Amino acid sequence: MIIENTLAAIQELATFKTLLLMVVGASAGLIAGAIPGFTIAMAVVLTLPFTFGMEASQGIATMIGVYVGGLSGGLMSGILIGIPGTPSSVATTFDGFPMARKGEPGFALGLGVWSSFFGGIISTILLIAVAPQLARVGLEFQPWDYFALIFFALTVTASLAGDNMIKGLISGAMGLIIASVGEDDINGVKRFDFGVEYLSEGFAFLPVLIGLFAFSQLMSDIRDRVSARKALSDMKDVDIRIEHGRAIKTIISDWINIVRSSLIGVFTGVLPAAGSSISNILAYDQAKKASPTPEKFGTGFPGGIIAPESANNATAGGALITMMALGIPGDVITAVMLGALLIHDVVPSPAFISEEPKIAYAIFIAFFFANFLVLILQSGALRGFVLVTKVRMYVLASIILVYCGIGVFSLNNIENDMWTLAVFGVVGYVMRNLKFPLAPMILGVVLGPIAERWLSRSLALSTDVSEFFTHPWSLFFIIVSVFSIGFSWYQNDRGKKPWTVWYLPLFLMSVTVPLFMMGGYVRPAIALVLLGFSALLFYRLPKAVQELKS
Amino acid sequence: MRTLDRDTIVSILLLVFCGFLIWAGFQIRDPQFGELPPAAWPQGVSYVLTAFCLIYFFQSVFSNKPAPEASTSNASPEHPQGLIGWVKHFGNPIACFALYFLFLFTLPFFGTLIGGTLLVFLLLSLLGGIEPKKIGLHALIAVVSVGAMWSLFTFGLRVLLPRGEILPGI
Repeated sequence: MIIENTLAAIQELATFKTLLLMVVGASAGLIAGAIPGFTIAMAVVLTLPFTFGMEASQGIATMIGVYVGGLSGGLMSGILIGIPGTPSSVATTFDGFPMARKGEPGFALGLGVWSSFFGGIISTILLIAVAPQLARVGLEFQPWDYFALIFFALTVTASLAGDNMIKGLISGAMGLIIASVGEDDINGVKRFDFGVEYLSEGFAFLPVLIGLFAFSQLMSDIRDRVSARKALSDMKDVDIRIEHGRAIKTIISDWINIVRSSLIGVFTGVLPAAGSSISNILAYDQAKKASPTPEKFGTGFPGGIIAPESANNATAGGALITMMALGIPGDVITAVMLGALLIHDVVPSPAFISEEPKIAYAIFIAFFFANFLVLILQSGALRGFVLVTKVRMYVLASIILVYCGIGVFSLNNIENDMWTLAVFGVVGYVMRNLKFPLAPMILGVVLGPIAERWLSRSLALSTDVSEFFTHPWSLFFIIVSVFSIGFSWYQNDRGKKPWTVWYLPLFLMSVTVPLFMMGGYVRPAIALVLLGFSALLFYRLPKAVQELKS
Repeated sequence: MRTLDRDTIVSILLLVFCGFLIWAGFQIRDPQFGELPPAAWPQGVSYVLTAFCLIYFFQSVFSNKPAPEASTSNASPEHPQGLIGWVKHFGNPIACFALYFLFLFTLPFFGTLIGGTLLVFLLLSLLGGIEPKKIGLHALIAVVSVGAMWSLFTFGLRVLLPRGEILPGI
């Protein structure tokens, strides 16, 4: 079955047109990733209009090319000029730039390029192995569980908004409100339309997304004369030979680092809202802690490049696992991909892999292939990418603004969508300036209708609200949601206030309840282990409180 | 006297918006069937949003931020003061948004090709500066980029882009 599906997917993708689209996508991603301030999410969002006219697998393959290219592109500016192209390569600059300054830019780039490649391949293997298994778990879900899962995705996104958690929550709720404008899916009743025809249709998801994210980002990029007229990046002409052989030897000798960092990347990607911007720093930190020579980190040490670069590429695989297995977008990029699939009437859910094997396996293969493609492109056309990033910001912004308009029009051939784009461009720009995170709002727009549908189905089966607490998966997600809301306070007060020592044991003990309720052998066994661990933490609690007080 | 800071003003505006949403929620027709009435979800979200906005309001009121002084010495690139400072700070985005809305208003007259070319040219000139040697370059960039985009969508992706009264053929 797996071989059949894989062969069918290869057949689907192995056409000249698809391969060309992937090359263009990966090149665009590499360029976007190399431009400081130009996010990968924005590059994927801007690719979207081109995919409307394509088949679902072709469109997704192109976007995956952009995604993987963007993750790898950030290392070029990070290593050559010390300014990370994307937040996902922040930690790469810690050792990449010092190594380049020491006269070894070719080796630094080689380490970055090959670590990205190995990270991507490890995460592809995990994606293929884990996604179908996780989807099987997802098949156990009932409407109550789905609703609780979406509730969890929204709360965790908002709670990861850092210091601005309340702004994150407001942003997420605003997204839910935006999604509820227009005719409702269940009864066909118009909501929040005020008798205006334009509002009664509701807002199409993609113009809202492009307006909120891309349009407002461009406005921030050209906010003043200096920013508008500067080149996209300060990289000088480069004539560097990437040292492939030496880099591969170094990476293989440090294989524990690459495997550990890739696993950190995949795990971070699986968690909703925790993307590559977090995984690269986590992996760097762990590599430093595990190294026998931590003092060498920050001075141009190879392990300091290998860890973040393998982790950030591996994150993509993790995010795709959640999207494909559960139908839940973990971040803005997978939200866009979900939107692209919905346009083609493909609804990701736990049944997605079994019902749409051709598309599902096309995603696996495209992700696998994109890593090779990016490796070849980076090795062969580094100079070309650097040249492109010399364009002035205002030139790019002016062209992209018109492109956004044309792109959203092509979605439904409706001029109103262009107005939606502009209006949400203003909303996004105002929110950015008021420091409201946009990711929760975008996820709110995507997940709002899905959450309402599952809530409606739950209530159609039973009006008893206690069902949300008696179904094990639902209870599990509700518990995790509650603790995720408290997570940012826990992070701030950890090691300073006594209440934080209760957080972990309480959390572990709480999640054992739904695990025991699930029955069988494996899950109660996991619950027993967790219970034992939480008991140990409780036993050590008085000592931990005393240490904190002293 | 303590002056209202930006967060407090924003939270008050959001609370007013929430009030409006709650009122609008009661205007939604109830078809009297189904377990989840069409108004239930938006109303529920409106109440949750109101609760968050109230927390935001109290947070902003009771936070220990120092009161901003009235003098302009506190003005920073991040926090422009006064109307002129504000307009200067947000000049480029305001002008770009204005041009974009103008493009949308005139779209039925100019169409995508001409309107888009004009928009790119005006944006380039506004953001890049109006100098004799740049005008030609900006015009060239506008024609080539919008021409290529228009051709790609019209002939490549078979999208019938909005046409204008001025040249109904394109």
